[in-house]
Amino acid sequence: MAVRAQFENSNEVGVFARLTNSYAIVAVGASENFYSVFESELQDVIPICHATIAGTRIVGRLTVGNRKGLLVPTTTTDQELQHLRNTLPDSVKIQRIEERLSALGNVICCNDHVAIVHPDLERETEEIIADVLGVEVFRQTVADNVLTGSYMSLSNQGGIVHPKTSIRDQDELSSLLQVPLVAGSVNRGSPVVGAGMVVNDWLAVTGLDTTATELSVIESVFRLGEMAPGGAGQGPNKESIVESFY
Amino acid sequence: MKTTWKDIAPVPTSQEFLDIVLSRTQRQLPTQIRAGFKISRIRGFYTRKVKYTQETFCEKFQAILDGFPRLQDIHPFHKDLMNTLYDADHFRIALGQVSTAKHLIETVSRDYVRLIKYAQSLFQCKQLKRAGLGRMATICRRLKDPLVYLEQVRQHLGRLPSIDPNTRTLLICGYPNVGKSSFLKNITRADVDVQPYAFTTKSLFVGHFDYKYLRFQAIDTPGILDHPLEEMNTIEMQSITAVAHLRSAILYFMDLSEQCGYSVADQIKLFHSIRPLFANKVVYLVVNKIDVRRPEDLDPEEQEQIQEILKSGDVEMLQVSCTTTEGVTAVKNAACDKLLAERVSQKLKSSSNTAGTPGGRLGDVLARIHVAQPMGGVRETFIPDAVKDLKKYDKDDPNRRRLERDLEEENGGAGVYNFDMKRDYTLGDADWNHDKIPEVWNGRNIYDFVDPDIETKLAALEEEEEKLEADGYYNSDESVEDAEDADTRMKADLIREKRVLMKNDAKMRKSLKNRAQIPRSAKSKKLSQLERGLDSAGYDIDAAGDRARSQTQSRGRSLVRDDAGGEDDAMDLDDPRAAIARAKSRARSTAATDRRNDGVTDETARTKADRLFKLGQKKMNRMARQGEADRHTTASLPKHLYTGKRTIGKTQRR
Repeated sequence: MAVRAQFENSNEVGVFARLTNSYAIVAVGASENFYSVFESELQDVIPICHATIAGTRIVGRLTVGNRKGLLVPTTTTDQELQHLRNTLPDSVKIQRIEERLSALGNVICCNDHVAIVHPDLERETEEIIADVLGVEVFRQTVADNVLTGSYMSLSNQGGIVHPKTSIRDQDELSSLLQVPLVAGSVNRGSPVVGAGMVVNDWLAVTGLDTTATELSVIESVFRLGEMAPGGAGQGPNKESIVESFY
Repeated sequence: MKTTWKDIAPVPTSQEFLDIVLSRTQRQLPTQIRAGFKISRIRGFYTRKVKYTQETFCEKFQAILDGFPRLQDIHPFHKDLMNTLYDADHFRIALGQVSTAKHLIETVSRDYVRLIKYAQSLFQCKQLKRAGLGRMATICRRLKDPLVYLEQVRQHLGRLPSIDPNTRTLLICGYPNVGKSSFLKNITRADVDVQPYAFTTKSLFVGHFDYKYLRFQAIDTPGILDHPLEEMNTIEMQSITAVAHLRSAILYFMDLSEQCGYSVADQIKLFHSIRPLFANKVVYLVVNKIDVRRPEDLDPEEQEQIQEILKSGDVEMLQVSCTTTEGVTAVKNAACDKLLAERVSQKLKSSSNTAGTPGGRLGDVLARIHVAQPMGGVRETFIPDAVKDLKKYDKDDPNRRRLERDLEEENGGAGVYNFDMKRDYTLGDADWNHDKIPEVWNGRNIYDFVDPDIETKLAALEEEEEKLEADGYYNSDESVEDAEDADTRMKADLIREKRVLMKNDAKMRKSLKNRAQIPRSAKSKKLSQLERGLDSAGYDIDAAGDRARSQTQSRGRSLVRDDAGGEDDAMDLDDPRAAIARAKSRARSTAATDRRNDGVTDETARTKADRLFKLGQKKMNRMARQGEADRHTTASLPKHLYTGKRTIGKTQRR
């Protein structure tokens, strides 16, 4: 299931929300419309938490998490941390980490098994990620961008990377992650796929500007609908695409 | 690249051309001229006529030259097609004649303008103009044939089908009457004339169809007979042009039933003779009319000939019947697939770099459609069971879940409603959710003291407290304030309060705005004040009053004689008093003084004075008040004199 949503006229859904397989964090907005999109899609399956991080609404960019844990930056206040602790289930470990690159959502991209992190992340942080989130950690770049969290969107079933990622990089990342990957965009051609959408194993929320084509790529690579895995360019269409686009 | 020429402007005949140009000259230029006008004006009038006519001619000719395609600039296919249809030489000569006429008219105009310069009268000028225009008209009239030819070419060119030489193309060729047009009719929606006689199709026809989301064009060509190229007529040459120049998949149609009137052997011969044109192309041998006769039914000799064609490997045989539409789609799909594969592989080859991976734009496109599949198994997913039987949220369902948004609407809408942050807390007891917990307690951050063992520690503390209470630890007697102390305290409070009030009063009274702060002792006082003061102190006031009066300097001229410049002679040196007075009146130089250290006895006194000075400044510095020592600039432009509307004499006084 992939849905389109907007946070106060912004399409960057991944900036204002964080979605995992066991909880969702949504920014506090002026109205409840954005929150209710998650509420209607998730209902009572997983808890949805209204939260701020360091008083800001960019919770998706500042935090990183998966089914097992949540990492918040050092700027998070005690009260915010307490609120998260009270709301999220006890099985989720929450850890505040001292890291110079405090926008954790931008520098870390993870699913429940693997994390691809910024090459300059501190070694201690790397260990904390491995412990709290229970993942293997790899230092990598996506299409020569160090901000792996911004340019990559990942679930346990698939992933989307920056549209300009070369085939070789895609294959390399895919073999690291052990999930199928495609190069794609969201929000009508935006390359920041990590910030433009949120995804877990059964739901994706993208910006309102996302085109039908982008949405179908998302649904197929993350295996969200009934669609079989595979991308737009699989099989007989490949020739047509090459022929018409080049 | 241009593939159609439908927008060429019509070419008028030479007579129409003349009418257009001359009437335009007549309409656009002045017509009134008198013999009495100045000769320069008359000359100018006629010069303009000649020049304008020439310009109009040239403009029209240039439009014709620009409108027609230049054969060297267009695709070879179109070039050859035009050569076949209109004869390139004829076309070029016609355009060349137009161009020459243009130059000739320019020369004529130049000559006659020059002659008009020397004309002496209106009559001369007029005759020269007439002669000039007449020569131009003659030149134009000579273009009669080229213009008629060009108009015909234009009309024919406009009706040519739009054939893009570079796009995906299926080209249908073969002997006349083998079913080429009916095949085109079957695969596209082109309305081609199909008749049971040879050469129904006399020119190229184009139909379009979609396959795999791509637009293909199918071109139906006129039938070809097997004879040398030089003997071919225009109709056949069009087919040959198309076969030779278009990047396409060639469908060579054959009719084994020989209903077309040509034997199978002839058809095979033709295939061999035009085979050189099929180089680097996808070629199919399409056997039509299989409802009548199939290749299997042929006699062995002919079958062998066909096998010989197919033996080379780059030609495949397909079978179709256009009347029963059997195999039509199969032929179309096979041809399209092979053509696509061919084109894609060529593109990949042409844009690949040395490493063999496609770069540039093609590389980008390929990267976008590539799905990187991992080598190993799939990752475990964690989809809760609840998701599977999740009912889709329907906003029209009356029993739908109440969302936060609905709550917001009910409670005043966005901006008014405040959601309950603590509603979804999972603390173990729903009643605890809204418990108030201070963030900071006694200046300490509660969170710093959060401790998993807090409960046990609290219990221990409470136990200790109870024990202390039981022991009577807190029962000590309190000291009682005695009455005297209370009285003193009360008085002191009163005094303090009064002081504050007085201070405030003094502050309120202060009307010293920006004026100098002068010590009271330095201020001038009235005599009456002095007398009152002395009187109240019990002194005699007369003497003081007299002395004060005698000491005051009256304003204006002195009433007594000045005794210094008096009766004595100034030159009298013997008078010692005068000498003293003179000496006193002279300004004496003073010794340099050290004002910093004068008047203080030693270094300690100096530092003390410094300290006192600073102390005196301290308050003023702290308040950042404006003092008398501060520079003050009054307004140089008094606002009331420079604003507002001014009338006469209002700049200085308002």
